[in-house]
Amino acid sequence: MSVKVEVIEGGVPHSKILIAGFVGTLVCLYLTYLNVLTTHTGMFAFFGGLAAVIALIWGSHTIKVLCSYGIGTGVPSAGMIAFGSGTIAFLFATKFGDAAPIVAVVLAAVVGFILGWVSNNVLNMRIPAMVQALTEMAVVGALTLMGFAALMTGGFTFTGLTSVSVGTTMGTNTFLGGCLIAVAFLLGAIAIQHPFNACLGPGWKQDRMLMLTAECGFLSMIVAAIMSYALVDHVSATISLIVALVGWVYTYKEYIVLSRRDAAAWLDSKPIPEVEGH
Amino acid sequence: MSAVAAKPQAGGAINPGAMAVGIVLLIILLGIAYVVSPGIGLMALIGVIIGGVLIGFGVHFVPVGGAPAAMGQAPGIATGVAMLAAGAGLAGLFGGAWAAEQGLEMAVVTGAIGGGMMMAITCMMVNFVYVFGMGIPAASGKVAKDPITGDTQAEYKSQGTEGHGLPFVSFVGGVIGGILGGAGGTLIYIELLELYKTTLPGVMKVTSAQAEPIAVSVAGIFAIALFLVNAVLTAYNITGTIEGPHDPKFKRWPRAIVASAVASALCGLVAILIVVM
Repeated sequence: MSVKVEVIEGGVPHSKILIAGFVGTLVCLYLTYLNVLTTHTGMFAFFGGLAAVIALIWGSHTIKVLCSYGIGTGVPSAGMIAFGSGTIAFLFATKFGDAAPIVAVVLAAVVGFILGWVSNNVLNMRIPAMVQALTEMAVVGALTLMGFAALMTGGFTFTGLTSVSVGTTMGTNTFLGGCLIAVAFLLGAIAIQHPFNACLGPGWKQDRMLMLTAECGFLSMIVAAIMSYALVDHVSATISLIVALVGWVYTYKEYIVLSRRDAAAWLDSKPIPEVEGH
Repeated sequence: MSAVAAKPQAGGAINPGAMAVGIVLLIILLGIAYVVSPGIGLMALIGVIIGGVLIGFGVHFVPVGGAPAAMGQAPGIATGVAMLAAGAGLAGLFGGAWAAEQGLEMAVVTGAIGGGMMMAITCMMVNFVYVFGMGIPAASGKVAKDPITGDTQAEYKSQGTEGHGLPFVSFVGGVIGGILGGAGGTLIYIELLELYKTTLPGVMKVTSAQAEPIAVSVAGIFAIALFLVNAVLTAYNITGTIEGPHDPKFKRWPRAIVASAVASALCGLVAILIVVM
């Protein structure tokens, strides 16, 4: 079914988005390390959310590259396999302390590559972009989860995600113990697959789709920032929430502007229509 | 490559070379598990692989209709494999997780019943919506007679469609798929839960009561992740839609078995390495 329905026309080439997304995500992830350097505050946790948003932007463009080939399974399935394989790499990588983001990238790439090879050869998909796309998406999934983990807890090491507070008998008040990872999983999986699913078609425009991804990413970040109140101090969580809210309002407004630019026509309807004669 | 000139290359053919490489890869991954953790780790990995294969095989039974089904132009449940398999599998997984303390067999059976019930309810409500909401009868486009009831299909099939609604054989297929998927998902969860419960207290240097929520959470998220990976790979195998066990695409299942086994072995090995390294 490797019938390529549409070609990538205009916009930034995928390789540039790949490199920018990769570097941006890693830089932002390591900026959360400032938490450890500066007397153990959590104030830089919001960089984790920014890392997740950047990774999502990269990932949604990868989904566009893959799903242009009419794989027949729907766009959401691509988001699900990205985070399915990414979760596994992410959890393993957290064991490696400060090197966790690098290990996550390498391991996710290996897992994604093998899954891509299996799809293309064992399952006989024969889609040219398959191996590269699944490799990229596993990396994106792992890094997005790591970003959300850093946002919610201020760090990305296994100890930080599971450390049991003194005096508690159950380890439930942690990222892994409280299963916040399940929420992070779906926040990311929906944010990565929705933009292309919503924007695909003959009127597809790269900047509009990527703006929608940023908007979805910041929306997920708002939820994650609210959840971070349980795990980091309130000042840090408030900073994360403000960053997420500002980012969301800006990208939402920009997305509406871009949608109006691409629309044939629009009508400003009022929320409650006024009916005359009543 | 334009859409007109391109020929669909993926088909029902089995690629023997790739299948052989896949099986070799599977043996290598099992070998690594044997080296790093010959006892509990290897057993857990075998359980994970069986669970993954059950999921991959089970998805073939589920009548996935996709977008055409939503428009009443093809039979099946009107959504994609990822959503449907996740729904059935997670319903089974949650059911099985409740019964985890009563032993492996009880938990797997409970998970299977949970997944089967979820699919039975889904299939019934889908047919309610099709028949009473959209006003279309159930008719298969792939077979002349329903293999189970023997009812002829052609009279009920609208022209220009591939059939519509959910014929009886698809309903039965959906329930079987839910049972297999629920059992597979629960098996993965139980195997990883036992592994983590045994090893995590030592790895983290905490009491078993403190480690238990983390063991439950990590095993659960791994089971969900493995479920989604297997379901999506199977979706790739059937290229999106299938009517049920009577569909010609069903014959592609050997490919999905190998693919699911390799994918489960790979992901399961990483899941085991977290605690044994």
